[in-house]
Amino acid sequence: MRFSDSPPETDLPKGVRDFLPLKAAKVEYLQQQLQQVYTAWGFRPVITPQLEYLDVLERGLGEGLQERTFRFDDRQSGRMLAFPPDMTPQIARIAATRMSERPLPLRLCYNGRVLRHTEQQAGKDRDIFQSGVELIGLDSPEADAEMIAMAVESLAAVGAHEFTIDIGQVEFFRGVMDGLPLDARLAEQVTDAILRKDSSELKGLLEQSELGDNTCEEILAMPRLYGGREVLQRAEKTVNNERSRRALDGLNQVLDVLDVYGVLDHVTIDLGELRGLNYHTGITFQGFLSGVGYTVCSGGRYNNLTEKYGFSAPSTGFTFSLLHLLFALDKVLDEQVVPSCDLLIFSTGENLRAAQQLAYQLRKQGYSVARDILDRTREDALEYARKMNFRFMAVVAGEERDVEMISLPDGGQKQVSWQQMHLGRFKL
Amino acid sequence: MSEWITFALPKGRIMQDSMELFSQIGITCPEMNEKSRKLVFENAEHKFRFMAVRATDVPTYVEYGCADLGVVGKDTLLEQEKNFYEPLDLKFGYCRLVVAEPKSLQKTDDPLNWSNIRVATKYPNITERYFAAKGVQVELIKLYGSIELAPLVGLSERIVDLVSTGGTLKANNMVEVETIAEVTSRLIVNRASLKTKHERISKIIDELEKVIGDEVKISQ
Repeated sequence: MRFSDSPPETDLPKGVRDFLPLKAAKVEYLQQQLQQVYTAWGFRPVITPQLEYLDVLERGLGEGLQERTFRFDDRQSGRMLAFPPDMTPQIARIAATRMSERPLPLRLCYNGRVLRHTEQQAGKDRDIFQSGVELIGLDSPEADAEMIAMAVESLAAVGAHEFTIDIGQVEFFRGVMDGLPLDARLAEQVTDAILRKDSSELKGLLEQSELGDNTCEEILAMPRLYGGREVLQRAEKTVNNERSRRALDGLNQVLDVLDVYGVLDHVTIDLGELRGLNYHTGITFQGFLSGVGYTVCSGGRYNNLTEKYGFSAPSTGFTFSLLHLLFALDKVLDEQVVPSCDLLIFSTGENLRAAQQLAYQLRKQGYSVARDILDRTREDALEYARKMNFRFMAVVAGEERDVEMISLPDGGQKQVSWQQMHLGRFKL
Repeated sequence: MSEWITFALPKGRIMQDSMELFSQIGITCPEMNEKSRKLVFENAEHKFRFMAVRATDVPTYVEYGCADLGVVGKDTLLEQEKNFYEPLDLKFGYCRLVVAEPKSLQKTDDPLNWSNIRVATKYPNITERYFAAKGVQVELIKLYGSIELAPLVGLSERIVDLVSTGGTLKANNMVEVETIAEVTSRLIVNRASLKTKHERISKIIDELEKVIGDEVKISQ
């Protein structure tokens, strides 16, 4: 085997891709389905810029994302610019500045693309399609429940069948760890072991510490506190501190609301879920599809973000990764998204007026219609129509004459009168 | 019990040890005992599927969700740093990841004087992190097997490799200088699987936890 010495001149950088019509139609479908849910819950779209000043953007970025931001000089201002790696800080900025005079809460949604550096590894996306919502100005279980219920409805709306929204609550863990005499390094290792649910490592770490038996028991329980609603009862028996108990109370109230919305079946709980510990301030959640190894959506409460832009407001939200959804639901979407065009109109005669007139009429009736403008044989046109996924080809001989309709998947033919075509008295 | 549970297991001894442990909680696969060159085995009655893969590929299958659960050595986990859960130490497959060097070198060698050393290993990431934490720069030589050969032919002065009984090192006139990590086999779980199939998987984890002894075993 030989690899050619140089890649083709028209290649793309790693981590970005072209979406051809079939895939592009699926992405568009996902965006529309999600937007419908957002609209139904009273969220209104905002559009954020693709460039920001780095120092402004960085105020709202966690450490992990700061390192992954594309940045460069601005020739106009001499300052550093960045492509946003996440849209939430941008929405927080907008809410805290441009919209700070408006009454709260704000219900905002977005749909766009962000760029992130990834490891050198092949296959990881750098161009990320996000779609999500932010609910700004509310700090209550009902607001948290709204996000989770919307995430469930969103997943149902894009055609997912078996899925779980897995709820965490970082305040529970903070309550357990509050005021413990652990040095920073050990605390970090403990957090990491809980994150990986690695009980044996956790045990080893706690033996090194000088924590009391009760405390160790609380911490050791963390990796196993996942499952259905019964987790909350188990957790209640394990912890004694006020902060963790308040967190459990809140979770119970959230679940009560989710029960009303009829989405509890899609909910699991994991109190050992500490992703986003540095960023989130309360309930967090992630969406998983059965048989798909990664998350398709993530969200949670972040009460400290807007204040970095000068306006303090408790907030929560979630974001969907559209490319993850696209990959996970590819088969489902095949059924939902038909990328075909209804009709190709082919003219047999020299006089093209009839074909043009018919195309004009049918478009007005709501069909998608393309004119086969080329001067070619009927067989060639049919071949083209088949390859380009047209549903029908209409063969027009002239004004007032019958139109021959050829169904492309099966080749079936029928004659429709000129009159009927014009009045829309036919079915495709 | 509608959903299948898929395991990724490393071919060979660890696979046998794993199945022996699983059999104690009623997870078996009669199909596996038949002589065949199959890579996927099924227990259709209880909806278990077992894939035989290379040890270093187990994390990949589990991370991408092709397998819900996997068994893999801690050495591979340390080397690859993937994103999944590792809830159980299965206590078999015990060995140590060590820095070793020829006996002749050891006489005059003091680890405190190490700087800019050349190390051959199957574990470039662990080796780099280990020496970086000591402030020692290393020139890494990645090999895929027979690491003990490297010092004998002058490819590197030292090696980082797994040792279980120490027999191979001894036979090649080498000695351990430092232990980087103690290694046993771990049960790993895909994140989405733990959430979407949590009842079946939690049950497996809980039951296994009860039958794993305290004693650490070498797998030969």
